[in-house]
Amino acid sequence: MPALNEMIEQPRFSCAIGALQSVVAIPRAVPILHSGPGCGDMVSGFFERSKGYAGGDTSPCTNFNEKDVVFGGSEKLRKIIKNTYKVLDTDLQVVLTGCTGGIVGDDIESVVQEFQDAGKPIVSVDTPGFKCNNYVSHSHVVKAIIDQYVSLYEEDNKTRSDRKLVNLFASIPYQDPFWKGNLREYKRLLEGLGLKVNVLFGPDSGGVTEWQTIPKANFNILVSPWYGKPITDHLKRLYGQETYWFHSVPIGANETEKFLEGVLDFAALQKADIDRKKAEAFIKHETDRYYEEIDNLATFLLEFRYGLPRYAHILHDAGYVVGMSKFLLHETGVVPKEVFVVDNTPEKYREQIEKDLASTSDKRTIPVFFEADAGEAQETIKQADHKGRGIILGSGWDKSLAKEKNCDFLSVAVPSPVRLVLTTNYVGFSGGLRLIEDIYQTALHTYG
Amino acid sequence: MEEHIRQIAIYGKGGIGKSTTTQNLTAGLAERGKNVMVVGCDPKADSTRLLLGTLAQKTVLDTLREEGDEIELSSIMREGFHGIKCVESGGPEPGVGCAGRGIITSIGLLEQQGAYTDDLDYVFYDVLGDVVCGGFAMPMREGKAREIYIVASGEMMALYAANNISKGIAKYAKKSGVRLGGIICNSRNVDREIDLLKAFSKELGTQLIYFVPRNNVVQRAEINRKTVIEYEPKSTQADEYRKLASAIDQNDMFTIPTPMTQERLEEILLEYGLMDALKDNYNI
Ligand SMILES: Nc1ncnc2c1ncn2[C@@H]1O[C@H](COP(=O)(O)OP(=O)(O)OP(=O)(O)O)[C@@H](O)[C@H]1O
Ligand code: SF4
Ligand SMILES: [Mg+2]
Repeated sequence: MPALNEMIEQPRFSCAIGALQSVVAIPRAVPILHSGPGCGDMVSGFFERSKGYAGGDTSPCTNFNEKDVVFGGSEKLRKIIKNTYKVLDTDLQVVLTGCTGGIVGDDIESVVQEFQDAGKPIVSVDTPGFKCNNYVSHSHVVKAIIDQYVSLYEEDNKTRSDRKLVNLFASIPYQDPFWKGNLREYKRLLEGLGLKVNVLFGPDSGGVTEWQTIPKANFNILVSPWYGKPITDHLKRLYGQETYWFHSVPIGANETEKFLEGVLDFAALQKADIDRKKAEAFIKHETDRYYEEIDNLATFLLEFRYGLPRYAHILHDAGYVVGMSKFLLHETGVVPKEVFVVDNTPEKYREQIEKDLASTSDKRTIPVFFEADAGEAQETIKQADHKGRGIILGSGWDKSLAKEKNCDFLSVAVPSPVRLVLTTNYVGFSGGLRLIEDIYQTALHTYG
Repeated sequence: MEEHIRQIAIYGKGGIGKSTTTQNLTAGLAERGKNVMVVGCDPKADSTRLLLGTLAQKTVLDTLREEGDEIELSSIMREGFHGIKCVESGGPEPGVGCAGRGIITSIGLLEQQGAYTDDLDYVFYDVLGDVVCGGFAMPMREGKAREIYIVASGEMMALYAANNISKGIAKYAKKSGVRLGGIICNSRNVDREIDLLKAFSKELGTQLIYFVPRNNVVQRAEINRKTVIEYEPKSTQADEYRKLASAIDQNDMFTIPTPMTQERLEEILLEYGLMDALKDNYNI
């Protein structure tokens, strides 16, 4: 992590208030910003096409101004909450505080408490930009909803009462551009094993009623090298739920199989009562379908072997960097060269991530850099010199670097003005195939 | 900002007598024909009460809150004793908002509205006791007060505070040219007070500019919402304030203070028997 007084040229994450997008991702939930008007603007500018029903700069906002700094903005917040009720019909309201309100020390909790006391489904969370980035504050938002909303329904959702139900914490909405598709695919796969899944975000979740059942789940599944970990720790404390922790994003058959087998073993330990035979059959079926495609690809790969990327640079969060590296090396033969973890990974998780990446191959070491400043990462790539055709997998901001280096380019991370993602997924068997399609598509595109 | 206006900020521990001293001293200056403005920088808005004979007109921030920033100068500035222009910055209710920012905002507004007119000889800022954040240091910054006086007494906490405030002045001195004009002792009738304050001032690289005795007439005047100069113009205390006014008017010793370490400060206190006196008082 850079020292406090160092400048970051190209952060690939937003400030804490960016986690308002996690609220946007819950069907029929609305974020209410207690912040300056620019915060929502920043967020929608960063994530692009991310407004949902009322997100980014369309979120209700107190437009905290100088007067509010001096006198406090509580009264204004009270007003905006009331007015939100008048114009928006929503199931959950989440008040997020920006820098100004945070510094002034507005007592948001007690304002929100008034509405909670009146029976409203409303939650407050402290997300001033100076506190942390959105990878971290995503957990704060989820924990706040659990503590201030989900907890109200514990009576009807007895702790760990549904053996087959799991809570899934994986892609961070919008920060992972493929979150929607990914969550849908995780759900499909886990259901294929015979589990029931709370995905909590996106159109495949059941909205707030699904959130209410969080305590009922037998255990949690965390797919992440570090972000989201505080949520599962919290759930362990609250409901005694254990967590199956898969450290990187499973892309393609190898990793997806490993992930699903791991879930099955863990589910057995948790006495989830899964029909293992049926589950294994499901995995086999999925695997067969995957290799069917890979087999078909063989002739193409042979014919084009000199015209396809031989190496890759990846700039992404730790989960994707490790997941994509493994996938590329083992399932496509594209060799990951310098790769960059740009999510500002806390120090204590780095060793594990390095180990995980090192386990990819005992023949090659993949040089990994933890670099919160993607501008620095780009400098390193500029200096690098590798033989053959290369591809850069990064955010839209890396496109011109790819051009400069004469590399192919695929936009796989935020911010990206150059790619539209709706329901595409990169996780799972199908995600692997899609990533292959996308990589070779960009290469083929340069011919003819 | 006009260079010939002497802009002066009065700092000191909470309750030490800054507001009382500032108003009496400005009353003294006004009597001498000086054109003075007093800007209260305290949410309590009690910096001009004795000059106006009433608790503050509307504060700058109240006006901002109610009317927006298109403020008429006449609605926030009123003339008090001998034509002294009185402004109160005001602030949020206790426990909410940011009073420090309030001061920055209201001084900004005063500047915008052209309150600093050429005919002024003096502007005084009466700042609340504890400089708890950047906002309260605002009057020391670039283009504001160039002279600071610290009100202190022979009590330990008053001197701690004075030393701390000096650290702030030293910090801003290089950039904004702010200087310490001296220590005003507002007596608490502590033993050897004057010697202690002289020694303290010397160590701080400044002077004890005036020693104001303690006198109950101050409270009597206060109850009547008047400065001593107005309430009992012939009293000795009124003369003390006139002499203070003249000392400040003629002051030409402006220094960058040399704040001392905690250890050194305590050494000086010990030397003047303050620690002993304190110990005697602890009758648990
Ligand atoms: N020389 C004096 N003799 C007697 N009483 C005094 C003297 N100076 C100040 N006082 C009294 O001390 C009290 C506190 O004074 P004052 O309000 O001026 O302090 P202050 O430093 O402005 O306080 P704050 O930090 O709260 O603004 C007042 O009641 C005032 O009458
Ligand atoms: S850093 Fe602060 S002011 Fe800027 S967008 Fe984030 S919360 Fe808003
Ligand atoms: Mg005062």
